[in-house]
Amino acid sequence: MRIGSHELNLERRVSLSGWQAAGISILAIIVALAIFSIIFILAEINPLTAYAEIFSYAFANPFGLPLTMNRFIFILLCTYAFIIPFTAGLWNIGMAGQLYAGSLAVYAVLLALGVKEFQSVELPATLVILMMLIAAMLGGAFIGGIAGFLKGKYNVNEIVVTMMLNFMTFWVVSFFIKEGGIFMNPGGRGESFELPPSLQPSLIFGVPFTIFIALGAALLLYFVLRKTKIGYEIRAYGENPTAAAYAGISNFSIPLLVFIMGGALAGLAGYHYFAAVPGVYKIARTYGYFGDLAFYGIICGLISRGNPLAAIPVAFLFGGLSIGARFVQGKLGMSFGVDFALLGVLMITLVAFQFFYRYKLIWENSRGEP
Amino acid sequence: MYKVLPENIKRGDTILEARGITKRFPDVVANDRIDFKIRLGEIHAVLGENGAGKTTLMKILFGQYQPDEGEIFIGGEEVRFKSPLDAIDLGIGMVHQHRKLIPAHSVIENIILGHPRAGKILDLKRAEQEVLEICEKYGFGLDLNAKVWQLSEGEKQLVEIIKALYRGAEVLILDEPSSALTPIETEKLLISIKAMSAGDLAIVPFITHKLPIVLQISDRVTVLRKGKVVSCIDTSEATEQSLAKEMVGREVIFRTQRATVEKGETILQVDDLSAFSDKDVMVLNGVSFSISEGEIFGVAGISGNGQRELVEVLAGLRKPERGSVSLDDVDITFADSLKRWQLGIGYVPADRIAMGSIADFSLVENVTMNYYFDHEYYRRGVLDTKKIREITNDIIAEYDVVTPSADIVAKCLSGGNLQKLILARVLSRKPRLVIVDLPTQGLDVGATEFVRNKLIDAKKEGAGILLISEDLDEVLSLSDWVAPIYEGEFMGILPGEDAKRELVGAMMAGIHLDEESA
Amino acid sequence: MWEFFIRSLDASTIFTIAALGELIGQRSGILNVGIEGVMLFGATLGFITAKTTGSYLLGFLVGIAVGGLIGLLHGFFSITLGGDQVVSGMGIWILGFGLTTYIGSPYTGPLGMERIPTILGLSPFFFVAIALTVIIWFILSRTSLGLSIRSVGENPEVAEVSGISVAKTRYLCVVGGGMLMGFAGAIYSLDYNPVWNYNFLLGRGFIALALVFFSMWNPFILLGGSILFGTLWQLSLNPQLILPGLMSRYIWRTVPFAITLGALLLMSTKWFRTKWGAATPEALGQPYVKD
Repeated sequence: MRIGSHELNLERRVSLSGWQAAGISILAIIVALAIFSIIFILAEINPLTAYAEIFSYAFANPFGLPLTMNRFIFILLCTYAFIIPFTAGLWNIGMAGQLYAGSLAVYAVLLALGVKEFQSVELPATLVILMMLIAAMLGGAFIGGIAGFLKGKYNVNEIVVTMMLNFMTFWVVSFFIKEGGIFMNPGGRGESFELPPSLQPSLIFGVPFTIFIALGAALLLYFVLRKTKIGYEIRAYGENPTAAAYAGISNFSIPLLVFIMGGALAGLAGYHYFAAVPGVYKIARTYGYFGDLAFYGIICGLISRGNPLAAIPVAFLFGGLSIGARFVQGKLGMSFGVDFALLGVLMITLVAFQFFYRYKLIWENSRGEP
Repeated sequence: MYKVLPENIKRGDTILEARGITKRFPDVVANDRIDFKIRLGEIHAVLGENGAGKTTLMKILFGQYQPDEGEIFIGGEEVRFKSPLDAIDLGIGMVHQHRKLIPAHSVIENIILGHPRAGKILDLKRAEQEVLEICEKYGFGLDLNAKVWQLSEGEKQLVEIIKALYRGAEVLILDEPSSALTPIETEKLLISIKAMSAGDLAIVPFITHKLPIVLQISDRVTVLRKGKVVSCIDTSEATEQSLAKEMVGREVIFRTQRATVEKGETILQVDDLSAFSDKDVMVLNGVSFSISEGEIFGVAGISGNGQRELVEVLAGLRKPERGSVSLDDVDITFADSLKRWQLGIGYVPADRIAMGSIADFSLVENVTMNYYFDHEYYRRGVLDTKKIREITNDIIAEYDVVTPSADIVAKCLSGGNLQKLILARVLSRKPRLVIVDLPTQGLDVGATEFVRNKLIDAKKEGAGILLISEDLDEVLSLSDWVAPIYEGEFMGILPGEDAKRELVGAMMAGIHLDEESA
Repeated sequence: MWEFFIRSLDASTIFTIAALGELIGQRSGILNVGIEGVMLFGATLGFITAKTTGSYLLGFLVGIAVGGLIGLLHGFFSITLGGDQVVSGMGIWILGFGLTTYIGSPYTGPLGMERIPTILGLSPFFFVAIALTVIIWFILSRTSLGLSIRSVGENPEVAEVSGISVAKTRYLCVVGGGMLMGFAGAIYSLDYNPVWNYNFLLGRGFIALALVFFSMWNPFILLGGSILFGTLWQLSLNPQLILPGLMSRYIWRTVPFAITLGALLLMSTKWFRTKWGAATPEALGQPYVKD
């Protein structure tokens, strides 16, 4: 594109610094929000008002902020469920199914301990919660592991597998909590039995201890991926599976491992929402809504380019945006699904911006000088 | 066909002329005022080393590049090519060095692909008729309905030739036509070329170093050096020495570099090794040999005769069907690649970009490829990056790898520097057995010398080396033992002194050692 | 029982047409994992159009057009920008899923129009699907255009030097394919089950993707496979027709997805892999950049 004696050209990037990538990502988010304002305009709402409401509710409101924090924890865990296989060059879009499996495992433990019948338990609460956490991780790891195993051993496309497992576990949850399923709430209502108050974790400003798990996972992941032997193997496999096989890295173990790890984290997200967040404390009737929210983890993972620390502010922002969008949907009388529409616009803008991670715009004169 | 020629043009007249062709790139003048004439019905070879400007001239004649200066005339009229399609429409056909065919499709489908007269609904019958006419005219024999992946190299090349002819080529440019062919297939090709030239086509082979072929087949030969035409003579007046001298600018001497070293213990023992290729064809068929300390064992052969599969089985990247491999008396036939690195096998693969390195990793991280599994370099799961960085810096210094630092990504390195890095990384582990596959392919003279000297150094320090190379001179000059490979079998294993060029060449083409009369 | 088979064939129609759309795209080398998103757009916008205008024709036209547009978008990201096709496909899916959830929600509920008349009890679109299968088979194997498409998907470089525009051919396939996917979605929401609900396609787009792989890119095998899947899907909704009382109806719902997994596993066995490896378009999923 020429303007006068100068030209706007595209040049392939040789390298991309962390800061440059961050800049592009931030620009992508801003552009997405700008595009999303069309939705508000079409609903005859002033976008600036809408965004003001969203941000103030999500981040400055005593009711909204804890909701944002809890959504943030959920999204962050799902993001890590995505990032770990992503580092190995694999797509985990099964965090919904993995978190369902984790939740089922949690309530299975409770059922086994007689919590459903007696609404209480003799063992110390801390021990039970620990068991629940482990169960959540095992449940998620199992479902994730299926995809990892199939990929590692048979090179089966992990996108289709994880998606199939999403739907399958969705229906299995229904089987357990509805119409006479063994987890069903005695009062009916198509949801699971409730978690008794003794097992509800204490809250700090409305936020359960799972925040420490999420942030701890951030640091652990960052360290493991960057500094350890296994992190190196995962990264090498993700960059170039052929070269990795040449160097002796197993193309069976790595896919299996990363999906087990990712699944475990998604399972924890299930524990978080169905056993730790105030106001829920059961597998809700609308559990599918939470499963669909898990896909925010994909966008988060892509925007932060697989960097576990960069994912923290992004997940926090998206947590706030999705809570705020839900709030504004109710307050301004918009149709259901504003938070999902936001998810969609963010994702497609990000896809468009992928281009800029590889190419840069240069402004130069006809001799090729800036 | 699309003829631009004047009606009365006849055999011997100039059909294509290039005048004053000049093409500049940022660092170099690739073509410098080149004048060049091709006559109808002649076979006109263009000769030159790597970097002499052959490829550039060829791409200009074919329309892929546009010259900065100069003109091109076809049948006396000036023409400008905006793209290869223009050149094709004007009767210039090109057969590339690397096959440009679709293996999954049939011969006839490949031939008519993109042909302007193919019509909406494919009329394969009519196309077959027309193609058969061409085949009869020049004596080509091919099954038009065979799938291309089933054909031999020589047959595939024939498909491309027919495709160009079917598209109306009057001038046929051939890029290194015999580079991928066995000697027998080369003979067939030369017969085809003679038949086409007798049929009033002009053939222009671009060749790097098959001087005997040039002498055998061409009517005239033009030699390029450093972008300029240094001579254009009738072939009858040229000899191998005179052509070599023109190409290089001075007398050429071939030196042997083989160093003699004390033979030590047997390191590698291979018995009756066989393996399937990815297409489930038994491509390696009962190979047996051994390599001792201080020996270079060279496998000579054209790509596609099982060398790749042999190397992959030895490196642990492919399961053998039969046979056994042992290293220092330890059976490793089914050991995985990690185990082999740990036991002391080093492997420098042919494809340094797809397999030998990780393009977006730093040099340090690339060196880590051979160190991450070594207990000396990690403690409780955490890698000792500092130690690996030291090794990397040592490598950069000792092997003269041109790079601003050890942290830049590998894709920034030139081919030669990347190969040096990979070789250094592998040799730094002081392996017992070093497998090098096409170690100097694509490297310039300086890097090639360096790599060969490092291999000789490794040999002197007692390693055993398995050398796979398509460069016959390289194999002959470096190896203590030479094994020509053909269709997955060793045609014989010759001691270095007995490995004469013609003998090895014949064995590469399928002749067993016992059959050859002294 | 007859009713069951009719519904199965009707269900298969949607799989067939969506999968054919992806097959065309994949034959030209473009992978779109977001078929579900394109179908959701076609289904939702088609539904809304029909409901507000009262015209089935308009509904279908809009559904098809939107599908083509989304196909164009995917093409832009994959062909012109040369980006990662899986990322783009994911983006299309999430965009579809997200936007249609919001756009469609005011229209939740039944279409409320007279049902489209059936032929021999079957939806007319079943016959359309069969016709499309034959047409696409014919184009791909018997015409110049088909040879070009297949060549572009195997080796774009060879196609380009033979005089074919890789970009144009791929755009054609991806837009045409998108139109078919949008059409399939519209068939779902306007004929098969004319009730709008968010995320109502329930994974059919992903199953269509698996079908394309399973069919080894042969339209007739694809038709057969999708009839099989249509039957399985119907079975999962009405297990009492064949095997009453065997499992909870919720577990039955998992059957189509489990069978898909099984099919994928089958496809990775050695026998299948050698046949399939030969059939896979070589250049599938790889961006092509002209020198």
